[in-house]
Amino acid sequence: MLKQLSRSDLEQLLEAVAKNYALQVPQLLADGTRQLGPYDNAELSLSGQPLQRKPTSYFFPQTELLLTLDAAGNVQQPPPAEKPLALFGMDRTDLAALTFLDQFFMAPPADDIYLHRRLNALLIGLTGDAGPDSSFLPLADDGCDIELIAINQKWLALGHSEAGKSLLRKFNDGDDKQLVTLRKASRDQPSDLLQQASQLLHDDLVPDAFWEEIADRCILCSGCNLACPTCSCFCLQDRQTPNGTERSRVWDSCQLDAFMREASGHNPLGTEALRTRRRIHHKLVADVERWGELGCVACGRCDRACPTGIGMFAVAEEMVERFGLRS
Amino acid sequence: MTATLTTCPYCGTGCNFYLKADKTGRVTGVEPAGKHPTSRGQLCIKGWNAHAFVDHPERLTTPQIRQRGQLNAAGWETALDLVHEKLQGIAEKYGPDSLMFLSSAKVSNEENYLLMKLARAGFGTNNIDHCARLCHSSTVTGLVETLGSGAMTNSLSCFDETELIFVIGSNTTEQHPLIGSRILQAVQRGAKLIVADSRRIRLAKQADLHLRQQNGSDVALLNGMMRQILQDGLEDREFIASRTEGFSALEQSLDPFTPEHVSKITGLMPNQIVDAARLFGKTDKAMIVYAMGITQHSHGVDNVRAVSNLALLTGNLGRPGTGVNPLRGQNNVQGACDMGALPDVYSGYQKVADPVVREKFSKAWGCNLPESPGLMSTHAIEAAVEGKIRGMLILGENPMLSDANQAQVKQALENLDFLAVIDIFPTETAQLADVILPAACYAERDGTFTSTERRVQHGRKAVDPPGEAQADWQIVCQLLQRCGLQSDYADPAEIMTEIASLTPSYGGIAYDRLSDNGLQWPCPTSDHPGTPILHQDQCTRGKGLFSPVDYRPPKELPDADYPLLLNTGRSYFHWHTGSMTRRSHLLDREERSAFVEINPEDAKKYGFVERQQIRISSRRGSISCAAQLTGKVPVGQIFIPFHFAEGAANALTNNALDPESGIPEFKVCAVRIEPC
Ligand code: SF4
Ligand code: SF4
Ligand code: SF4
Repeated sequence: MLKQLSRSDLEQLLEAVAKNYALQVPQLLADGTRQLGPYDNAELSLSGQPLQRKPTSYFFPQTELLLTLDAAGNVQQPPPAEKPLALFGMDRTDLAALTFLDQFFMAPPADDIYLHRRLNALLIGLTGDAGPDSSFLPLADDGCDIELIAINQKWLALGHSEAGKSLLRKFNDGDDKQLVTLRKASRDQPSDLLQQASQLLHDDLVPDAFWEEIADRCILCSGCNLACPTCSCFCLQDRQTPNGTERSRVWDSCQLDAFMREASGHNPLGTEALRTRRRIHHKLVADVERWGELGCVACGRCDRACPTGIGMFAVAEEMVERFGLRS
Repeated sequence: MTATLTTCPYCGTGCNFYLKADKTGRVTGVEPAGKHPTSRGQLCIKGWNAHAFVDHPERLTTPQIRQRGQLNAAGWETALDLVHEKLQGIAEKYGPDSLMFLSSAKVSNEENYLLMKLARAGFGTNNIDHCARLCHSSTVTGLVETLGSGAMTNSLSCFDETELIFVIGSNTTEQHPLIGSRILQAVQRGAKLIVADSRRIRLAKQADLHLRQQNGSDVALLNGMMRQILQDGLEDREFIASRTEGFSALEQSLDPFTPEHVSKITGLMPNQIVDAARLFGKTDKAMIVYAMGITQHSHGVDNVRAVSNLALLTGNLGRPGTGVNPLRGQNNVQGACDMGALPDVYSGYQKVADPVVREKFSKAWGCNLPESPGLMSTHAIEAAVEGKIRGMLILGENPMLSDANQAQVKQALENLDFLAVIDIFPTETAQLADVILPAACYAERDGTFTSTERRVQHGRKAVDPPGEAQADWQIVCQLLQRCGLQSDYADPAEIMTEIASLTPSYGGIAYDRLSDNGLQWPCPTSDHPGTPILHQDQCTRGKGLFSPVDYRPPKELPDADYPLLLNTGRSYFHWHTGSMTRRSHLLDREERSAFVEINPEDAKKYGFVERQQIRISSRRGSISCAAQLTGKVPVGQIFIPFHFAEGAANALTNNALDPESGIPEFKVCAVRIEPC
């Protein structure tokens, strides 16, 4: 189903969504970045830099209360949200990341906390002329209920799911030809840098010394992991409160020594070099083996979050530059 | 879900981030501010976890009063009345100078200003100080003398254009991580790096030269480098002639510091000193970066003078990519100093001894003000032991873990007639209090903070404080009111208006001007854009002063009974006395308990293995910690971070003080080690 929306149509659509969902929309924040935030008090930011906070954090937040255990042994879970979530403004990489995260959390046994948030949620992607200075963002063509494709101050609206289609029903039809052109423009021509890097690692062509060198430049901020929309590691935090024990889960980082340190002190990932290698290897090799695809959706967040310039792309580039010819 | 832009509560780098909070008023996470000039979308591990302690169940939520030895919950009015009545009673009976006020580098500028007003105007004493005494008091004393201003001369953006960085006594990637990362990035783009540090810190691995001088031998090293620079003719003659004074005295004083002589004192090879001098001297734009490794010595001020001399000698001042860059530790230690939470100055470093200044404040506050400078915090501890200080109000500090010679601190605090503590957690110091007042933390109140690059920026309230806790400024206002002083400030913005009216360097600071990434002082007028680089055309004092210094050894060096040198400091994952970071899950998990770094060679000699609990004793105390075998520390030295109450490094440290700045010698004392 293809529709075309004017600005007022778009507002009508969001208004309709907001009735039944806790709608989050892209906004320009005081520091000049864009993030998702509640619809009610927001001026929409319909193009610009990628969203700073990874949108997947709505389904898998940095800290999340899982349950409270009282003295009598009763377990209480936090009440479910009143309305399901609707997120508007994710680009292709954001949507791909969420699809990836879904695979992880919903693989049996499904993570029911994640599942509850995710199951009835509505996703409205935003692509087309929605990048910085209205530059073109490739189409997602999947991974959401509705995809809004910005073009000439209007939005082509693709309904992917039943929920999406029914929300779009009342709007005017869009021009299929336009869509064909846009799809063409979106066809993958990204550099195959990550694929090359993946192959190098897979073929074991990157020496240990390389990882030591990179690790020496890591200041253990954990930002690469915390900013990454496909990172799914968390640890448990228990706190004694007057109401009992509160158990929460908290984003974790494989760059930290205690990530895998055992009670004995032994650590299978006991050096910074091993942990740095793991960060890259996991996404470029292990994920491919497990899920059949790279664990990196090329969103660029880790490169922006890394204070010392050793995010995924920086490392992949260095790796390919230095060891690529040998393969 | 709300997102509130605020300033990081940990180090003085001054990163900004969004605090995320959910509908129930719980903070749930942190997102770095993408476009802020300091954070640029990045944070260190402490910043990424800055939300974690905010809703910790051990937060103080109600005032407490000690009755028959027990701390019991009390109402605010009762508790505040009691604090006022007790402090007033002591002042009346023994004189106002029997009181001591400790302010905090963790609270806002407005709160520091109010507390210094309370001490001076409310109780009539200049006995007010804060933990800058323990970190950069040597800097303030030294650089005010040589340059006229005790702050970092340049801006963090200068790291992006400098040609050489000389890091001496700063473990930058751990203590100012987002400055450390700029240094690493500078090296990547080709800048040179000299690291002078006895420990093999992360920066050392990237350095062109790593000088592992003996702790406490910095004056000799710096003098040796300067002598060599003169020998090679690498000094900046034009700068020396036009911008400085006292050069010939310096020149003479350097004579004895030949590479061979310096080698004997520092333990370095003579050619290392020559190499460092040449590398530094030949560079056009060099930044000197230093921190506690320079300041925390019984000759800390001399160390600072030597650093300043080196910058003046080579003309590395007043230009982008140069400067004397002391890195201030706490997120608002610069501001606490600026606000006059110091015994000898009002806000903006205006001297209490100056009658004109006193008259100005006296008029503004409507009361008489004491003339003679007050006690430094380290001297106040000594005075409390002697019974000369009898009442103390401590705002957000934990001297039981942070000050040198814990046994003496404990004796001092227990000796007081009355101790009131305002804090967010039941710290080791709060346990000794007669009254505890629960405060809001950084996430629960508005205020401004001044970062190490003199950037005054907003801290914003994201959530409500727990229970009955109140913002520090509100608490202090209620005490001001009990002292009969004006205290009806509507909000921190109004307090800043008063500060600006009385403080020339903050004259142009106003809340509505700070939204765009803050302003760097001096900012004297409401249309002044702020000052990223100090001393551009001339130094604040006029000419830059060469202040010659001679080498003085530390007060206590290893001997037959105590054969090892103890170096103390901080680790990356924890903050100071651990009250916040040890209550932050990821940070606590990383380093769970006290440890001591010991060189594998020494460990072998003593027969210690990794993680073995060992006993460390000095002339002042004895603790036990788990051994961590690492080549980071040189043979003959051990290193203990001071975060851990159960293995408190400061039970061992020497409270030998610098005669001018009153800073203790945290970096050098003698210890022995044995199996537990
Ligand atoms: S670019 Fe970095 S942050 Fe983005 S998905 Fe890949 S690894 Fe994760
Ligand atoms: S973001 Fe960079 S510095 Fe931080 S942990 Fe990751 S690799 Fe290390
Ligand atoms: S570098 Fe300092 S200011 Fe920045 S996030 Fe880390 S602790 Fe906070």
